[in-house]
Amino acid sequence: MIAVEGVVKRFGAQAVLNGVSLTVAPGEVVTILGSSGSGKSTLIRCINGLERLDGGRITVDGLDVANPRQLAQARRLSATVFQLFNLYPHMTVLRNVTLAPEVVLKRPGAEVEAEARALLASVGLADRADAYPAQLSGGQRQRVGICRALAMNPRYLLLDEVTSALDPEMTAEVLAILGRLVSAGTTMVFVTHEVEFARRISTRIVFLDHGRLIVDLPTDQFFADAGGMAHPRIKQFLSKMTPVGGQS
Amino acid sequence: MRNTGFTAHDGIVLAQGLGVSLALFLATFAIGLALGALAAVVRHFRPPVLGVALDTGLELLRNSPVLVQLFLVFFGIPALIHQPLTPLVAAGLTLSANTAAFVYFIVVAGLDAVGREQVEAARAFGLSRAQLVRHILAPQAAAFAMGPLVGLAVNQLQVTSLVSVIGVVDLTKAGDILNLRTLRPFAVWTMVGVLYFAVAKGLTLLGHRWERRLRAHAAPSGL
Repeated sequence: MIAVEGVVKRFGAQAVLNGVSLTVAPGEVVTILGSSGSGKSTLIRCINGLERLDGGRITVDGLDVANPRQLAQARRLSATVFQLFNLYPHMTVLRNVTLAPEVVLKRPGAEVEAEARALLASVGLADRADAYPAQLSGGQRQRVGICRALAMNPRYLLLDEVTSALDPEMTAEVLAILGRLVSAGTTMVFVTHEVEFARRISTRIVFLDHGRLIVDLPTDQFFADAGGMAHPRIKQFLSKMTPVGGQS
Repeated sequence: MRNTGFTAHDGIVLAQGLGVSLALFLATFAIGLALGALAAVVRHFRPPVLGVALDTGLELLRNSPVLVQLFLVFFGIPALIHQPLTPLVAAGLTLSANTAAFVYFIVVAGLDAVGREQVEAARAFGLSRAQLVRHILAPQAAAFAMGPLVGLAVNQLQVTSLVSVIGVVDLTKAGDILNLRTLRPFAVWTMVGVLYFAVAKGLTLLGHRWERRLRAHAAPSGL
C-alpha cells in the first residue's frame, strides 16, 4: 500500500502540497485530477522520492521514502512513466528498457532482454528495439517509457500526465495500452487530464486544488451530482474539460 | 673547427626529444584527465565544503601561467621540503595538476549539460549514484566534453615545451641543442615546429573521429 499522510511540499514560500493524505491499495487505480499547478505531478514526485518532503510522511509498503535506504527499496516497488518520457537518449530502446532491471534488480541480462523484447512486442515496437529514442515518434517514445516501467515488474505504476505531450492519435495509442494494464490488474496512480478515460478505468478519483485534497471518492460517486459534482470547484473543472483522446 | 652540418645523429637527438615530449604529454594528460574528471564528478554532487574548495583550488591552477607553476614546483617546493626534485618529476607534477584543472572545468560543464530529466528518471528507477554516473552521466558528458578536451590536449602538448626551461631534454630542448651546434635556427626551429604540428594534427584527427562516434546519440535535452 502507498500511504500519503499529511504531506506538505513547498517551493520557496508557496506550498504546492498542503497537508495531502491518501492511500493506494494493491489492485486500485487511483486517478488524481486537478488543474495545472494543483500539485498533482509534485505528489507523484514525492512518492518516487524525487522531491524532499517539507512535512508529513509517505510510505510504500511500509518503507519511508524520506529515509534514503528505505527509499532505495521503495523505488524497486514502484515505477514511473513521465510526461516528457525522460528516456535515455544515448541508449537504444532495448537498453532503455533493460537498464534498471539489470543494474538495480541485478537480474540476468539474457532473461531481462527476452522480457523486454516481449514487452516491446506487446506495445507494437518489436522492430524498433535497436532504434534510438530520437528516431521515434512521441507516441512510440511513451510506449517505450511504459515498457521501461513495466520491465521492473512494479507493484505500483506511477503515471505522471503520460499523454499530455502527445497529439490525440498518439494519446489514443498510449491509453489503449494503459487500458490493457488496468484489465490485467496493475495498481496505478494516474495523474491525468483525460477525464473520460479516468472515469472508465479508475476505482477512485482524487481531486487536488491549490495543493489541498478536496475529495477522494469512488469513481461513480465522484461524477454523481451529490458527490464530487456537489463541490463548485470540481463542477467548474469538469465543465471546462473537453474530452480529448480516450477512445481506446 | 666544429662541425656545423646536420648529421644522422641529429635525427636521433630530435627523435629522443620527441619521445620525451610525447611521453611527458601522454602521462601527464592521462593523470590530469583522470584526476580532473574524478574531481568534476565529485563536484557534480555538490558536496558542501569540498565543492567550493575544488572550484577555488583548480581555478587558481587554471588562471596562473604554467611557467610560474613550473618554477614554483621546481624551485619552490624543494626549498620548502629541503629535498631536490628532478626536472622530470617537477615537470610531471606541474603538467598533471595544470591539465587536471582544465579538465575539471570542461567535465563539470559536460556533466551539467546532461538533461536533468533523464537523471531524474534514472534516480526514480533506483539507480545508485555510481550507477547513474556510469550509465547515464559519463557516456553523455564524455560526448559533450570531447571537443574541448581535444582542444585542450593539443594545447597541453605544446605547453610541454616549457619544461625545457628547467632542463628536461624534450623536443624543444633537443632543438635548442641542435641549434647551438649547427647555428641554423631557421632550419632547426622549422623542423621542431613541424614535428609538434604533426603530432597535434594527429591528435585532432583522432579526437574528432572519436567525438563523432560518442556524439552519435547524445542529446543535451531529454527525449
